[in-house]
Amino acid sequence: MTQQEKPNTNSRRFTKEILKGLVIANPVFVLVLGLCPTLAVTISIDNALGMSAGVIFVLLGSNLIISMLRRITPQLVRIPVYIVVIATFVTILSLVFEAYLPPLYESLGIYLALIVVNCIILGRAEAFASKNTILLSIADAIGIGIGFALSLIIVSFFREILGTGKLTVFGKTLFSIPVLSSDPLAFFIMPPGAFLVLGLLLALFRWLGVLKNE
Amino acid sequence: MNNDASLITIFVGMVIINNMVLTKFLGLCPFFGVSKKLSNAISMGVAVTFVMLLAAIATSVIYNFILLPYDIEFMNIIIYILVIASLVQIVELIIRRTNIALYNSLGIYLPLITTNCAVLGITLINASNSYSIVQSMVSAVGGGLGFTLVLIIMSGIRERLELGDTPKSLRGLPVAFVTASLLALSFMGFSGLL
Amino acid sequence: MNGNNEKRENTKLDEKLQDHGQKIKNGISPGERISRSRLYPLVFLTIIVLVSVSLVMVISNVTKARILAEKDAAIISQLKAVFTETDDYESKNDYYIAYTDKQVIGFAFIATGKGYGGEISIFVGLNTDFTIKDIKILSNTETPGLGTRITEDAFTVQFKGLSSQDISLAKDGGKIDAITGATISSKAVTDAVRKELEEKIEIIKSDMK
Repeated sequence: MTQQEKPNTNSRRFTKEILKGLVIANPVFVLVLGLCPTLAVTISIDNALGMSAGVIFVLLGSNLIISMLRRITPQLVRIPVYIVVIATFVTILSLVFEAYLPPLYESLGIYLALIVVNCIILGRAEAFASKNTILLSIADAIGIGIGFALSLIIVSFFREILGTGKLTVFGKTLFSIPVLSSDPLAFFIMPPGAFLVLGLLLALFRWLGVLKNE
Repeated sequence: MNNDASLITIFVGMVIINNMVLTKFLGLCPFFGVSKKLSNAISMGVAVTFVMLLAAIATSVIYNFILLPYDIEFMNIIIYILVIASLVQIVELIIRRTNIALYNSLGIYLPLITTNCAVLGITLINASNSYSIVQSMVSAVGGGLGFTLVLIIMSGIRERLELGDTPKSLRGLPVAFVTASLLALSFMGFSGLL
Repeated sequence: MNGNNEKRENTKLDEKLQDHGQKIKNGISPGERISRSRLYPLVFLTIIVLVSVSLVMVISNVTKARILAEKDAAIISQLKAVFTETDDYESKNDYYIAYTDKQVIGFAFIATGKGYGGEISIFVGLNTDFTIKDIKILSNTETPGLGTRITEDAFTVQFKGLSSQDISLAKDGGKIDAITGATISSKAVTDAVRKELEEKIEIIKSDMK
């Protein structure tokens, strides 16, 4: 490779990694990871956005650190090391939310702390960040993080509209559907509704050919 | 501030009314991965319940005697997950030494118990409800049994589903989710129990 | 075919042995000695844990003041919602005293009950004669549209002016009408308020002696 070609391929790889996380390797709809927060948090778009921001923060931090340490991390203790790094970022996130975004902190509840066992984050650390350069790991984190955010937003979009009849973001009601808002289908806000929406969306994605069959 | 809920309330609450999987969405990954065969489901359920119980005891002791008195509750995330990881390692070693068949049938799902939201989840629930050590134990056993119960039911249903004629897009995971939805709906009927 | 592969493997092995021999001759570099020693994994993990814990402690200190301030602000806004004229408060171990112009105008405490979906947190304001001034639901995870209606004024207004013996559901002989379809949530709130009220009255009375 000549000197001129190298920068191009590097930035192309960077973008490719980001895009990968959005569709082909979408954590929720393709890899089917990180289910616990997806179902619990998607009762409102606000919660979904807050959780997404949190997960992106932790993913970025952990991918960065683990990639930086990848050459000197001994194989034997690599999983505990990853876990400690991830747990540290989650604790920092939790403290920051508790101090500066109390209502979000309250509504996310234990699912904020549960980010630490979110299979997505540990999975990326083990499968990617431990074997790739810092820059690519950052790209991976951004891509997977945004992919996760998109899936949360899609699921909560349906659940909030069907379950409350309106869409409220950061306190402002974006729009409300006349018949639904007076008599919403509370089913969708409740657990069974969560499973159903996710199941149907999974089927939809599969039908669109995005996923490969199991 | 101790929670004076009775042990029966906590237990029944955890198993049926506030079932870990169907109402709190905890423990989903193994739920959908392992639950195709009944024997696997039972082994997994028992293993998880056991780890949950041990984790609940350890974390409850740490919470009540170290974190609270020294005002470092925020350290709970790091400490809890390390405790759970160590416990899973120990349990893995014990199972490997005593019952190799069980070890093989659980396979990779045994170390994955560490990242099972249900285990960390139950420790966090115990802390947020300010349960005593005994209450935490009951809560953990209840949670584990609830998890196992749902796992067994799902495996039975999925065994039948495999033989059925599902539309192509829904095959596998999607229809499992729809099944879970109906299961969750039926469990909601228990809400008036206590 | 196979002969060639074997030859290739043999040369690779030879190279490795030669390499190793050279290293033993030259001595292992200090960096390698550290990373190969048995203790290295443990030391590495310990360092990571120490760094992480220190980092978390630092962040905790930075945010501690803000977190306490938020909790405080939440309490004050609750007190003001119930005692609109209050201008000062005192925080005791289990309850709050509300003042206006340095006169005690009432008390407040937080009661928690186990509802259908989880814990319900209730802010209870007391008049000086220990009847309820008002209650406000702080947090709940009840069923939306049913149990969450405990937050509505129509439900909470029933508590105003009641003394503890009247605080139970109408079907249990008290004066609170449960929300249709949300008996558990209603009962949880009612029972929590009554139990906590009885306890707090004792505490406040003994404190005032």
